[in-house]
Amino acid sequence: MENLHSVYLEEAEDLFSKIEESLLLLEKSPDDSSLIAEVFRSMHTLKGSSSMYGSNKVADFVHNLETIYDRVRGHEIDLTQPIIDATFKSLDHLKKIVQSPDIPDPIDAKYHEKLTADIIGLLDEYSSGATPARREAGSIKNTYHISFSPNKNIFSNGTNPLLLVDELRDLGSSRVYTNINKGLISKNADPKECHTSWSLILVTEEDENPIKDVFIFVEETSKILIEKIADVDLLILPEFTSKLPPNDLNSKAPTLKEIKKWISAIPQDAIDRVADQLIVSDDLEDGEKDEKLQRSHSQEEAITSIRVSSDKLDELMNQVSELVTTQAGLSLYAENNFDPVLNAIADNVEKLSRQLRDIAFEMTLIQISNLFRRFNRVTRDISTQLGKSVKFLTEGGETELDKKIIDSLADPLMHLIRNSLDHGIESREERIKLGKPEKGTIKLSSYYSGAKVYIQIEDDGRGIDAQKIREKAISNRLISKDDDLSEREIYDLIFMPGFSLAKSVTDISGRGVGMDVVKKNILDIRGDISVESKIGEGTKIILGLPLTLSVIDGLLVKVESTSFVVPLVDIKKCFEIKREELSNDFNELITLEDNKIPYLDLRKEFLIKDENPPEKASIILLENEENKIAVCVDSIVGEYQAVLKPVGKYYRNQEFVSGATILGDGSIALVLDAYKIIARKIVKQKKSA
Amino acid sequence: MKKNILIVDDSESIRELVGNSLENAGYHVLKGINGKDGIEVLKSFEDTVSLIITDLFMPEMDGIDLIKEVRKDSTYKFVPILMLTTESQAEKKLEGKKAGATGWMVKPFEEGKLLRIVKKVIG
Repeated sequence: MENLHSVYLEEAEDLFSKIEESLLLLEKSPDDSSLIAEVFRSMHTLKGSSSMYGSNKVADFVHNLETIYDRVRGHEIDLTQPIIDATFKSLDHLKKIVQSPDIPDPIDAKYHEKLTADIIGLLDEYSSGATPARREAGSIKNTYHISFSPNKNIFSNGTNPLLLVDELRDLGSSRVYTNINKGLISKNADPKECHTSWSLILVTEEDENPIKDVFIFVEETSKILIEKIADVDLLILPEFTSKLPPNDLNSKAPTLKEIKKWISAIPQDAIDRVADQLIVSDDLEDGEKDEKLQRSHSQEEAITSIRVSSDKLDELMNQVSELVTTQAGLSLYAENNFDPVLNAIADNVEKLSRQLRDIAFEMTLIQISNLFRRFNRVTRDISTQLGKSVKFLTEGGETELDKKIIDSLADPLMHLIRNSLDHGIESREERIKLGKPEKGTIKLSSYYSGAKVYIQIEDDGRGIDAQKIREKAISNRLISKDDDLSEREIYDLIFMPGFSLAKSVTDISGRGVGMDVVKKNILDIRGDISVESKIGEGTKIILGLPLTLSVIDGLLVKVESTSFVVPLVDIKKCFEIKREELSNDFNELITLEDNKIPYLDLRKEFLIKDENPPEKASIILLENEENKIAVCVDSIVGEYQAVLKPVGKYYRNQEFVSGATILGDGSIALVLDAYKIIARKIVKQKKSA
Repeated sequence: MKKNILIVDDSESIRELVGNSLENAGYHVLKGINGKDGIEVLKSFEDTVSLIITDLFMPEMDGIDLIKEVRKDSTYKFVPILMLTTESQAEKKLEGKKAGATGWMVKPFEEGKLLRIVKKVIG
């Protein structure tokens, strides 16, 4: 411990000088956010280690300073000279007291108090509402009724329900009633089953979430009911507690209904009295309790992340990609040289680089809520401009996506939302006439499914009339009168260039440029887009997006010596066939599992020499929503982590490829784009049919 | 007496990190480097293990199989098992739960959270 403590002192010294250095620079340029972050980080570390080594006075003191810099960092307050001055003074003081954290010297102790008051003064001066609100929120007590009936097999998952009840009790003051089911008393009772349930009256300062969190591992299998029954502490109210049965095993738990009845019988002035008392008593004991509360709050909320410029992240991602490529080379070399030592090293490098890749990749993920939030404002502005009233809802904002994808989503989403506002949502009068809620709704939601992220834009407007689209497409000569199109294919027509249904051009949208650009933007990030709509009920536009742009899990395949990578997400199945099965067919259709499926022979498409193709060929069945296509190659090599590199600009407009990747031996493999291949093949098929 | 907690993970750094945190919190820590090894360690300590924390993806025997194997043996039928998962493994989490896991912990986690969850399942 002695040893560890000296480590702490050394660390503290380091941090002091770091903070000082940054402060001096900050005096010259008070807006430098990286310096502010540096100061904050150092203070945070200091606070953390101080509290670990028992110097609570130091930790508390630093905590207040840290709070100031947290706000400066969040642009809530400006870094002013008084703050810098106070920080310098505090540092000098900290250097002194860190050696003997109990502050035995009375002069020091007095100075400590004065400085603390000064800093809190600074905090109060600059904070507007934010902190007091938080403090108040903490001191309001609510009473909950919780009933917890575990699944009778709960023990066999290793769960001890009593521990959960204890955890609930730790949240505040409570009354616990235990209900023993008949199953336990009967002769055939199985001791391995749980026949007990609990109901609690819990008074806590927390909201419902920490209560729910208690049940996080059992919520799916057990019956849990949580209901707030009062927003005061009922358990200090004799008018209420006198009704409650004694807290022992023999008494029957009161039902929620009974409890509610008792509550409604409590005279209002008694409840008011409790509410008032609470505030008074809190004022009295403010010091210790408040501080403790504030600390526990800020320990959870203090941001433990750092800001890094996105350029640096991109650079990191690039380097990691290079590393993965280089590592693939090493693995290949090791494999070919049968050197067990080298092999072991190569395996390790492979594992490490994969982990590194995952970490780097996770760092580039950001929550989509940032993007969603932007549209809240936009929706409000546009709907006012259009004289419509619209409710904007979001869901799944915590979904994480590659930063690059989020960046390139802003424009398409904006366009789609504008469309919904302009064409989808009806005017107020029209909505009233139709018996719809006066306010229209636009919902933006996001969720994971498989290896993809989906984003939905949903409105409850007039919907898109498939018939109208069809007519328009015929008159625009996009399709012919006899074409038999599924509803989905009809909706896909609105993404064709030059297609617009808007009768009049408005400022917001409807110039006929748009949906095709939206689609192109989405395709560019390897996503897809589809429409669902019901006339009179609304429209839903669904974007399916990859999790990342830079690394994909693929299947490495070969035609002669040429390698291709097919994204694993799109692959449904692989088959082995005889090549002659292909040549029998003129329509470029192949029968797989009793279905005729169009196929694409890479040998032909890429003009790879066709003299002596091997007898056997491999078929990879790609599936994209409802469309399927088979791709014919010579052989399948195996799974491959491909680092996606863009292809040169001359190849941008080709119809097969989303990029290229460098293989372990330094050669290049093209990465096939299933969506593009399917789209092209289907169009071709339609034309020839 | 200190409670025994078994950590099964193929990553040494995770074993050390979780192990140190638990040791500092007063638990005795046993370690296994994969599912198979984990079960051997578990059995060699007979019925004294209070909690198993296991990674899901491991060579030799993965976490799900470990959970199934442990639950099969009546000695360990009621031992709490926590899975170490990542956010993207929602399906695995369900699979593990079905196999008999008590709960899960999403990586990355800080020490405080680890100890809270451990406390939640073994008191």
